Amino acid sequence: MICLISGCGGQPEFSHSEKFQTLKPYAQIYVDQVLDNYFGSPSDMVAWDKLPLELHYGQGTVVEASGRMLTVELQAPHAEITAGTEVLWDSGILNDKDSAWILEWDEAKHQAKLESPLATNPEVGDAVILGPGQILATGRMLYAEHCQHCHGVAGDGNGPTAPYLNPRPRDYRKGIFKFTTTQSSKRASREDLSRIVEDGIPGTYMPSFKLLTEDEMTSIIEYVMWLSMRGELENQLIGLLADSYSVEAVEDRIAGGDETSDTIHQEFIDAVNDPDSFPFEVDTIVSRFTSEWVSSQEPDAEVQPLTPRTPSSDESIAKGRELYLKPSLKCAQCHGEAGLGDGSQTFAVSKDAAGQDNLTPGLYDTWGNLVKPRNLHSGIYRGGRRPIDLYSRIYAGIKGTPMPAFSSTLLRKSNPEDSGSEMTDEDIWHLVNYIYSIPFEDVKAGQGGSSIANPVKDANTASEEDSEEVAVN
Amino acid sequence: MKWFWCLFFAFWPIVAIVVCLLAPGNNWWFPGEAASPLGRRIDDLFYMILWITSITFVGTQLVLAYVLFKGASDTEPGTANEKAWFSHGSHKLEVIWSSVPAVILLFIAFYQLDVWAEYRVKDAFPRKRMEAVFERIHQDRQKNDSLALAEVTARQFEWRIRYPGFNADGTLKALMPDPQPTDLYAVNDLHLPASAPVMINLRTQDVQHSFFLPELRIKQDAVPGLVIPIWFEADQQRSYQLLCAELCGWGHYKMNARFVAESDEQFIEYLRQLEREQNEDRVDDAPDTDEEE
Amino acid sequence: MSSVAATTETAEHGHHAHNDDLLALLKAAPFWSTDHKVIGIQFMMTTLLMLMVGGALALGVRWQLAFPWENMPFFGALVPATAGGQIPPEFYTMLFTMHATVMIFLVIIPILAGAFGNFLIPLMIGADDMAFPMLNALSYWFMWPAIACFGCSFFFGGGPAAGWTSYPALSALSQAAPGSGHAQTFWLLGVTFVGFSSMMGSINYMTTIINMRAPGLTLFRMPLTIWSMFITAILQAFALPVLTAAGFMLVTDRILGTCFFVPAGLIVNNADPTVGGGQTLLWQHLFWFYSHPAVYIMLLPAMGMVSDMLACMCRKPIFGYKPMVYSMSAIAGLGFIVWGHHMFTSGMNPALGMTFMISTVMIALPSAVKVFNWIGTIWGGKPEFNVVFLNCIAFVSMFIVGGLSGIFMAAVPVDIYIHDTYFIVAHFHYVLFGATLFGVFGAIHFWYPKMFGRYMSEGWGKLHFFLTFVGFNGTFFPMHLLGVAGMPRRYADPYLYPYLEHFLPMNQFMTICAALMGFAQFILIGNFVLSWFFGKKAGRNPWNANGLEWATPSPPGHGNFDIPPVVYRGPYEYANPDTEADFWPQTQPPNPAT
Repeated sequence: MICLISGCGGQPEFSHSEKFQTLKPYAQIYVDQVLDNYFGSPSDMVAWDKLPLELHYGQGTVVEASGRMLTVELQAPHAEITAGTEVLWDSGILNDKDSAWILEWDEAKHQAKLESPLATNPEVGDAVILGPGQILATGRMLYAEHCQHCHGVAGDGNGPTAPYLNPRPRDYRKGIFKFTTTQSSKRASREDLSRIVEDGIPGTYMPSFKLLTEDEMTSIIEYVMWLSMRGELENQLIGLLADSYSVEAVEDRIAGGDETSDTIHQEFIDAVNDPDSFPFEVDTIVSRFTSEWVSSQEPDAEVQPLTPRTPSSDESIAKGRELYLKPSLKCAQCHGEAGLGDGSQTFAVSKDAAGQDNLTPGLYDTWGNLVKPRNLHSGIYRGGRRPIDLYSRIYAGIKGTPMPAFSSTLLRKSNPEDSGSEMTDEDIWHLVNYIYSIPFEDVKAGQGGSSIANPVKDANTASEEDSEEVAVN
Repeated sequence: MKWFWCLFFAFWPIVAIVVCLLAPGNNWWFPGEAASPLGRRIDDLFYMILWITSITFVGTQLVLAYVLFKGASDTEPGTANEKAWFSHGSHKLEVIWSSVPAVILLFIAFYQLDVWAEYRVKDAFPRKRMEAVFERIHQDRQKNDSLALAEVTARQFEWRIRYPGFNADGTLKALMPDPQPTDLYAVNDLHLPASAPVMINLRTQDVQHSFFLPELRIKQDAVPGLVIPIWFEADQQRSYQLLCAELCGWGHYKMNARFVAESDEQFIEYLRQLEREQNEDRVDDAPDTDEEE
Repeated sequence: MSSVAATTETAEHGHHAHNDDLLALLKAAPFWSTDHKVIGIQFMMTTLLMLMVGGALALGVRWQLAFPWENMPFFGALVPATAGGQIPPEFYTMLFTMHATVMIFLVIIPILAGAFGNFLIPLMIGADDMAFPMLNALSYWFMWPAIACFGCSFFFGGGPAAGWTSYPALSALSQAAPGSGHAQTFWLLGVTFVGFSSMMGSINYMTTIINMRAPGLTLFRMPLTIWSMFITAILQAFALPVLTAAGFMLVTDRILGTCFFVPAGLIVNNADPTVGGGQTLLWQHLFWFYSHPAVYIMLLPAMGMVSDMLACMCRKPIFGYKPMVYSMSAIAGLGFIVWGHHMFTSGMNPALGMTFMISTVMIALPSAVKVFNWIGTIWGGKPEFNVVFLNCIAFVSMFIVGGLSGIFMAAVPVDIYIHDTYFIVAHFHYVLFGATLFGVFGAIHFWYPKMFGRYMSEGWGKLHFFLTFVGFNGTFFPMHLLGVAGMPRRYADPYLYPYLEHFLPMNQFMTICAALMGFAQFILIGNFVLSWFFGKKAGRNPWNANGLEWATPSPPGHGNFDIPPVVYRGPYEYANPDTEADFWPQTQPPNPAT
């Protein structure tokens, strides 16, 4: 009975993006081929070297090899190497030969005892890959366990649970992550992503996965970035092909005159086979986002305040309040004068990506979701509650949302004489201090009282004199 | 065939008992010995009831098996023409088998009241020992301040934890019922001193959850609208599993967190660490004074 | 007196059919019938169908526990297309919610009260029908709106997501379990309809049992089945309105914005904070005020029927008839004041907890007395080891386990630990499945000849019993261990937790046993259906039993008794030395000699 049942399981598949269906079938097949070549399927993934990801346990070069002993020099970082890890020869005479398998690993010496003696010894300096693609495989497993039912197999933010969530889970395929501490022109750093996974996003359904080990965290982050890259390639490639080879475009072209369905198909096949055409475009797309991801990991991609946080004080808060209300900074236009997230823009009709009026007035993000400006009274800081987080929100904006980066209007401390600037580094700290103070506007620090709408009653367990657990209301 | 069925009904209780005897050896038992004095008392109570019920189980199943075998042999050919024993019951037996269990059950009922009281009745909380902890970690507190060292707020699907912050003089503030600007926050990672009774205030932001520390045998629902104080005492300085035990939505199984019991110094250092992280402004040369608002 | 009223009622329907064939009975009694036997059989068929549905849902749950996140076979088609083929966690939640709902509201309660209650009460008290036949028919037909509501709940909007206990705020705020949308509301309406159905039944049973007993059938000559049905009806009549009202209040909380159960300030799924001053604990009190007595509603009739069957199968009077009646009454009485033991960890007043604990511990006493009396009944009997007897022994044997494991959770401190773990799941499955359903399986085989005039197959019945018993224990006994190990209920994936990882193989074993048990039920259904046509014909009294129902033809025609019954003695005069046979029917006039 059970064997009968378990035989019926299917394999998960990466779903296609919405626009995929608009392509002609031959263009669809090409997109599939490209993705399959470079990324594979969930059950058979491809670890593509071109991607700036740490998909292997470790990469390094041979220091010494003889018989069953192999010593390597590893580039950091790498996950914990265990018995049974594969050793893939990446260059030298063993390149393309069968892999070796580690029987014992000495972490201190970076020395491995192999399961069987080597027939030919590699030369010193030959490249080896330890546990090729293993991080990706672990990531995939963990992703399926923890993430997939919200974020979807393909990272499209459309898992089975997604429709029920407010806000919707992130769609990675644009390569945009909202809460980062990198410059507005940069993508998320690994550190940003892992902090989100570790701490969750308060106020949303993204929970904290604090108890993941470091290796698990690495695997998940690399897998998410891998999914993001896959989705971005898919989206951009479809966008490229849709110009000329969508069902609609082809109809237009045929209606336009000399072309027939067959000539267009032939043209497409030629373009696919011409290394300077589609393959080149694919390379360009990949190189572009690859370099963006790489540069986002550099230290100078980080938001770096020039001055330490101004200590919070009544004056600082008052200055922050003043800045908050300053018309040219437009804070109150969205967040409202009282910080309730009810500014005038939330009632204005905005345009969507295609230039059409949105049906519901209000602000929209890049993914087309209606977003509410944060109610600053809630005391909930989605991107983290550290000063640097709030600073980054103001300095670099929230990516993919109408929250702008103020870095362009910012006058850095180094040049205080520039009159064209509106804001200084200190000003941002004043704003940060003001934002911190909003939830406590009508409470004096340390005095208790109710700041957040949470009137609670004491549990029945309390005896009379122990009224400390009772909130003031 | 009837002998087969007699054996069948006699066999399965034996299997049940063998499985139970094998269970601890196969790690099919408690998640470790209880790691708190209260937990050990709960375990003792469990084992006491286990003894009583096991004896009853063996006894009743034995008698059941006996009467089945007797019934089977009484219906063997040869005895077949006689009627069954004509009896409407026995008053004496009824009295015996009502009063003996009644005494045992009442004993169980009253025997456990102590443990329950200690765990839940607030007047029986080990207040003195809790105050000794406050003393050791230099908490600056008034008489009526909360006994709790942290507030744990359950939400779909994680545990948000709020600790009091520090005063300028380095003492720890008392936990206020409402968030304070100096409060320290953590998620899914509850740190508290070990080897002493510590109390938390449990609440929920949305639906009902349940705070479950299996190794300490502690469970308490977080009920919407209530703040419920619970105390526990971990013997060893290590990390314990914390999870949710009341259906709270689709992600009920995801509320994986830990409770770390550590020394007083480590606890304070942990809070200091939280404070540093929470005041991170990424400027290295920041003067030390920017830690307070 | 009221039997006169009933006769007029039956007179409208005219024909007294004396058929020995189900098809003829169904022809004589149209689809819409007010005949208690037809209604009973209708209940029986519906509940057996629902038993299969509920079992299938359980297998879905077991699938996820044994093979977490793997593509679910068969059910996969019902799941809205899931990327990757996993059971989404909210579907898992719905599976166990619907499993409990179907099994409790659509199987156990209606098969006991609806099917056997309807079929047996008039026959066993010598009446020609229920006191209110029309109400009786309505009680059956109100099942269907309930089934429709549960069905809507299942198929539209993702299913109810708050468990069968439906604790607010999860059940009260649509945003808390957004996937369940209107499903939760439909579910509550379904419960309301079931409530109407049971209420109509219970009023009917009480009236019938009080007023329509045959001449000579005094209260203490009633079979224990009738006693149990009577006590159950009282329990239902007094406890059920509370749930129905509470369910309705929860519906208004959901759709009209009232706040009976929702306190202020809850922020759920990023929505605005709730306003209002409700109490979630109020729901728990109201819910368990019904649902704890409901546990006895789900058990007492089975206890009664098993007592009758055991006496008959052992050819021996029931041991301690009056203690049996008193214990059932005690269970019912105490059953009203133990509901708080479901709430020991809820933060209710600890003094209240102590009170509930003492009453809970004491309710074990009458149950123990009953077990001893059953064993006393078998003692010295001359049992025939047939299907009915085997199922009854299984009932007793399993009830011992379920009863003893209940003592653990009656002890509050222990309950703190095992509350909401698999120990609880093991406990109530031992009581509700192990006890009640084995009792029901026995009762089906026992009264089938009366229902259809034919025996069910003994061989297939034994095979069904064997597989079910083995599968049942294989599935549920290990749950005790899981519970002791602290595995919480209702977890879609317990293996996220290191201390539970090693239980995967055990869960797989349990799932295989559950599948075996599910498979065995097809044997029961097959046996049930095929025996209509191919079963051995049965006479009036195939078991040589004493009860009044055996004085009617098999199956009884419309109006039941061809000879108006007069009762001369209690129902357990087996092996009486005053008569030659080893049984002495209640209707047989006394020996002239005595």
